[in-house]
Amino acid sequence: MMCDVIYLRREAGSVYVNGSVMAVSQEKESDDCSLLPLVHDIIKCMDKDSQDVHQELAKLKTKIQEAREQISNMPGVDSSPLEQQQQLATLREQVRTKNQLLQKYKSLCMFDVPKAS
Amino acid sequence: MATVVEKSTKERLLSALDDLEVLSRELIEMLALSRTQKLPQPGEDSQILELLVQRDREYQELMETARQQGEVHQEMEQLEKEVEKRDSDIQQLQKQLKEAEHILATAVYQAKEKLKSIDKARKGSISSEEIIKYAHRISASNAVCAPLNWVPGDPRRPYPTDLEMRSGMLGHMANLPTNGVNGHLPGDALAAGRLPDVLTPHYPWQSSDVSVGMLPPHHGNDFGLEPPGHNKENEDDVEAMSTDSSSSSSDSD
Repeated sequence: MMCDVIYLRREAGSVYVNGSVMAVSQEKESDDCSLLPLVHDIIKCMDKDSQDVHQELAKLKTKIQEAREQISNMPGVDSSPLEQQQQLATLREQVRTKNQLLQKYKSLCMFDVPKAS
Repeated sequence: MATVVEKSTKERLLSALDDLEVLSRELIEMLALSRTQKLPQPGEDSQILELLVQRDREYQELMETARQQGEVHQEMEQLEKEVEKRDSDIQQLQKQLKEAEHILATAVYQAKEKLKSIDKARKGSISSEEIIKYAHRISASNAVCAPLNWVPGDPRRPYPTDLEMRSGMLGHMANLPTNGVNGHLPGDALAAGRLPDVLTPHYPWQSSDVSVGMLPPHHGNDFGLEPPGHNKENEDDVEAMSTDSSSSSSDSD
């Protein structure tokens, strides 16, 4: 019994599996972080029985490791987007309040001269 | 009400990456096995591939979210710097206000004390005439200023001297019981209140009728040692002085 053959094709930023588009990359940057191209290269090498399979596997492993390091060093991802928006709103409110307070005290006349009776 | 804690973007990214790694490994192993033997479950490789593609799509979306969060994080850092600066300004203002409060509190306290002193002085006020009278009285005995003809060596003092005390009533009372036996040496003329002739000083101010060896109980009215207010003569002088508003010296003529 023949096993099903999976045709994996990458074309114009899209990944086709057996003729159906499975993934479409919208930006070139997304392609940079996508692992599908590497998986596709590995499968292609396996189909060709090429000796480059091990090299491609090593590339995939390296890319995954680099992605992990990149994620660890990314700023601002320690909270969810919603939490971050809340923190941003809080900071903006703090700045506004403190500006108001300073403005109030700087413009406050502390010594009101009483009118002569 | 339990609040749902949302996972951070970092956790979701790492989770997606782990899934991608596992799925890609499974797919590759399955393809490698399919070359040599039949797959136990046909179609499983397609399922894994679909999962892999789906997870990759999620991973890319999360990376885009992370990029946007990075930009927001930069804005938050700017805001935090601004907050720090404002805090520093507020602390500086607070310090200055505290200093001003301290200065004002001190000034108000001192002003209140002065007002109290003014009230106290008003309650205990006396007329200027009385003060002038008293000034005349205490200066009459030359207690505040030496007499005009005083020279160094003059035994006169603005207080009763030893000789004067002994020649006064108290000194005489001590000498009454016995002659010379009063606790003093027989030859101690000073203790007895008598000076030998050779020791009697002669000064320009002394009048000729002063008895030798005996110091007058009072040094006359030159400097009026009597207590103020006890000598009616002095009081008259003072009265006259106050009405005439003449000089302060009360030397009797």
